[in-house]
Amino acid sequence: MKYKISIFSFCLFTILLVSVTLMPKKQTGTIVLITQQKTFIAGDKIILDFKGNSSNKPKLFLIHSLGKTLLDGTIKNDKLTFILPRIYAEKAGHIDWFLAVNGENKLHGNFEILPNNGTKTNIENYLGPPSTLVGDDHFVMYVTIPTDDFDNPKPENTLVIFRSQFLNAITTQTVKTKDLIAWKIIKAPTKSGIVLVSAQCNATITKEFNAVIFAGIATNFMISFIRNHQFADGNQITTLKTTIIKDKFGNVVSDGTMVSFIISTTGGMVLKSFGTTINGIATAQILHPDHQDVYTVKAYVAGIAESNSIAINYMPINPKIEFGFSKDNRTIIVGPLRSFMNQLVPDGIKVSLKVYHHNQLIATLQEDSEKGYAVFIISSEYYKEKKYSFEISTLGSSEKVEEKKYDSN
Amino acid sequence: MIVINNKNNYRSILIISFIAINVLVLFGISEILGYLNSGADRSSMLHLEKETSNTYLPKVTWETLKNQGRTMEAQTIRKIEEHYLFSYVIKNNALKNNINDGIEDYFTESTRRQLEQVISYNKTRKISIRSTTIEHHASLDFYSEDGQQVVFTDKNVVEFQNIYQDNKLIASVRDTANYKVLMLLEDGFWRIRHYVRMQKEKSLVAVELNKKIYTVKGNEILKNGVPYIIKGINYYPKNSAWDMFGNKFNRDTIAADFEIITKAKLNTIRIFVPYEEFGKAEIPQEKLDKLKIVLDLAEEKKLAVIVTLFDFYGDYSPESWTLTHRHAEKIVTIFKDCKNIIAWDIKNEPDLDFQLHGEQNVKPWLEQMIVTVKKFDPNHLVTVGYSNIESGEILKDKVDFVSYHYYEDSSLFEDKLAVLEKATKKPLVVQEFGLSSNRGLWSWFGNSKNVQANYHKKMQSIFKKKKLAFVSWTLYDFPEVPDKVAGKWPWIKNKQKQFGFIDSEGKKKPSFLYINN
Repeated sequence: MKYKISIFSFCLFTILLVSVTLMPKKQTGTIVLITQQKTFIAGDKIILDFKGNSSNKPKLFLIHSLGKTLLDGTIKNDKLTFILPRIYAEKAGHIDWFLAVNGENKLHGNFEILPNNGTKTNIENYLGPPSTLVGDDHFVMYVTIPTDDFDNPKPENTLVIFRSQFLNAITTQTVKTKDLIAWKIIKAPTKSGIVLVSAQCNATITKEFNAVIFAGIATNFMISFIRNHQFADGNQITTLKTTIIKDKFGNVVSDGTMVSFIISTTGGMVLKSFGTTINGIATAQILHPDHQDVYTVKAYVAGIAESNSIAINYMPINPKIEFGFSKDNRTIIVGPLRSFMNQLVPDGIKVSLKVYHHNQLIATLQEDSEKGYAVFIISSEYYKEKKYSFEISTLGSSEKVEEKKYDSN
Repeated sequence: MIVINNKNNYRSILIISFIAINVLVLFGISEILGYLNSGADRSSMLHLEKETSNTYLPKVTWETLKNQGRTMEAQTIRKIEEHYLFSYVIKNNALKNNINDGIEDYFTESTRRQLEQVISYNKTRKISIRSTTIEHHASLDFYSEDGQQVVFTDKNVVEFQNIYQDNKLIASVRDTANYKVLMLLEDGFWRIRHYVRMQKEKSLVAVELNKKIYTVKGNEILKNGVPYIIKGINYYPKNSAWDMFGNKFNRDTIAADFEIITKAKLNTIRIFVPYEEFGKAEIPQEKLDKLKIVLDLAEEKKLAVIVTLFDFYGDYSPESWTLTHRHAEKIVTIFKDCKNIIAWDIKNEPDLDFQLHGEQNVKPWLEQMIVTVKKFDPNHLVTVGYSNIESGEILKDKVDFVSYHYYEDSSLFEDKLAVLEKATKKPLVVQEFGLSSNRGLWSWFGNSKNVQANYHKKMQSIFKKKKLAFVSWTLYDFPEVPDKVAGKWPWIKNKQKQFGFIDSEGKKKPSFLYINN
C-alpha cells in the first residue's frame, strides 16, 4: 500500500512538474489574430480580436497618423479584444499595431482606415495670390482641401468641381484630388475686373472667392496743360494733365498710379511735380514763374512709360517800378506795383533790393509785396556809410536808383 | 570678572550685532530685487528664430523639389524642413511628457485639437512614449503659387520608440512608414495641417561598392582576399591617456610609438574617438585633422586601425539619437575611403551601460548605429567591443565580427571561448586583454611585472595555437589616468595605470617579450 501511494504521489508530482513547466509556454506562444478585416471606415467601431489565453495582460501598441498609444484588452473565453479609442478610429491612415506580452513584441500587423465618404464633406479652400494683373500668363491658384467630417482628407481621385465667372462667361471644370488636395489655376483675362470662383465637392459648396484682376502696367501717354493766363506773375497755377493712361490691353491703369512730371526751365533747372491717376488721368500743378521763362515738361510712370514733351511759354509783365524814399532816406517804399492789366500785384510777390556802396554790392534785401507795396528799411545800425546806391527788381524788371546821401550818427 | 563686566564688551557686541542685522537686511533686499528681476527674458516676447541644431538632427534628404505648382525656393525649403523637424521635437516631447507645450506653434488648429486628444488619452492612462525618427526621405508634391501651402511625402520614415506605462517599459518598437504631409504657412510658422500615415515603400537596395579591403568570410577576416590575423594593441600616447586628440597631441610622439609597435611585429592598433570632445553633432575640423594625422601615420608604418567611436558617450535616450547619427555620419563619411581602417568599433564596452541607461535604449541604439555607420561607409567592417566574453553574443548577427574584452583568469579563457565559438560563426577578436602589474603601496597583493609577463606568455601561446586575433591592453603604463576612466580611488586608478608593456619611464617591462608571441 505504502509502495502504491509513493508511486501515485510520484506520478502526481511528475504531472504537476510537467504541467507547470509547459503552462507558461502555452500561455504566451499561441496568440493569433482573429480579425481578418484589413480596411475600416473612419468613425466605425474598430475591434481587434485575438485568440489565445494569457493571464499576463497583453497590451496593444498603436502607431497612427498623429498619435501613438497603448491599449489594454479585455479577455473573455480565450478571446482577447482590443477596442480602438474613438480618436484613433476616426482618423484615416495606415495603422501599425504591436502586441506586447511581458515586454516582448509577440505579434505585429497593420490595417487601413479609410476616410468616411458617408459623412458631411468639408472644404477648406485657399485662393492665392488674391489678385493679379491682366493677361501675360498671369494667374491665381485656387487650392481646395476636401475632408470628411472627421477632418480626414478625402481619398485620391475624389471629384471637385471648380466654377469661375468673369463677365458673361461661367466655366466649370472637374478636378480629381491628388496629394490631399485639388487645385486649379485661374488664368487672368485680358480685361481687368473681378473673377469669382467657387468649388464643390459632393454636396458641399464653398462661398464665392474674388480674384481681383488689375490692369497691367501703363503704356506711353500724352500730356497737356491748362492755365488762366500766360503771364509770369509768380502767382497763378498751371495744371498739367495726362490723357487716360491705359495698359497694352486697353484697360485703364489702376487708380493711384504715380506719374512724375519733370519740368526743365530755360536756365537749366529741373523742377518736379507729381500726380496719381484717378480713372487713368493724373494731374499735377505748377506755379507760374515770376519772370519770363519757357518750361519744357515731360511725364513719366517711373521705369514703365513716358509721355510726349510739351513747352509752356510764360510772358513777362515788365511792370514800371515806382518807389519813394523817406526824409532820411532810411526807408524805401516800392510801389504801387502793377500787374499785366494795371491791377495791384497779389500779396507775396518778391521784391529785391540790392545795396551798393561805391559800386560794390553790399547786401541784397528781399521783401514780399503787401497790398502792392514793399517796404525796405536801411537801418543806421548796419549801414553806416555816407553814400549808397540801389537797384530794385521785381517780376522781371529792375530799376536803378542814383546815389543817396546818409547822415552818420 | 573684569572681562565679563567690561563696558567695551557690551559696546562691541551691540555694534557687531547692529552691523550684522544691517548686512542681513541688505542681503534680504538684494535677494528680493534679484528675484523680481529674474524670470521671463524680454526677448522671449519677440518671435525670434529658433535653432534646431543640437536638439534634433535626423537625416533629411529631399529626393525632388519638382512639383506642378510654384518653383520651390532654397530658402523656403530650408524653413519648411526646419519647422517640420520642430513639429517632431514638439510631438515627441508631447508624447513623452504628455504636455501640450509648443503644439500651437507647429500644428494648425484642427490638427492641434486631435493631438491634444491623443495626449490627454495617454495622460489618463499614464502612458509615456519616448521616440525619435532616424531618416526622412522627403519629396515635394505641391507648393502653391502664393507660397502658403505645401504638400510633400516623407518616405520610409524610420521611427524608434520605447513605450512606458506607469514608468514600466512595455515595449520597444522600430517601425517604418510613409507620411503625406500638408503644411500651411501661418504667422511665419509652417504648421502641420494634415498628416496621413501610409504604407511604407519597398526600400531601395543600396548598390554595394566594391572598395572593400578588409572583408569577412566565414570566421576569418580577410585583407584583399587573404586571411588576415589581427595582432594588435590598444594605443594611447603615454602622457595623454584617454586624451589622445587634446592639447598634448604630438605627431612625433605618435610616430615614434608606431615605430615601436611595428618593430614589435604587431600589425594593428585600436584607438578611441571621444564623442563629446569631438563636438557631438558638429565636429571641429581640428579634431578631424588630428584623426587624419593618426591614420596617415599608421598607414606609413603599415598598421591597420580599429577606430572606436563614441568613447564616453552616455546618453542613449531616443531623444538624443539623431545627434549621435550626425556625429557618426561626419566621421565615417570622411574616412570611408581610408585604406587602413579595418573596422569601426561602434562603442567601447556598451554592455556596461545596460544597467544605468536601460538595455531598451542601449541595444536599439547600437543596432541603429551599426546600420547608420554602414549606410554612410559601406567600405569598412563594423564591430562592437563588449566588456566580457559572455556579452559577445549581443547583436552577433548585426556586426561583421564579434569583439570582446577578456580580463578574467587566463586558465578559463579557452573554455569560455568555446562557448562563444559555438554561438556564432563570425570571426572573433579579443579586442582587449591584459594584466596590471600593480604590486606596490596601494596593492600589496597585486601582480608583479613577472606575473604580468607570464600572463601574456600564456595568452599568446593560446592565440598561437588557435590562430586567434588579439588586441592587447596596452602599450604604456600611464603616469596619469583621468577620473572619468577609473574613478577617484587611488588603488583602482593605480591598477589602471600599470597595464602597459612599457613602463612610464619608457623601459620595456618583462611582458614586452610576449607582446606578440
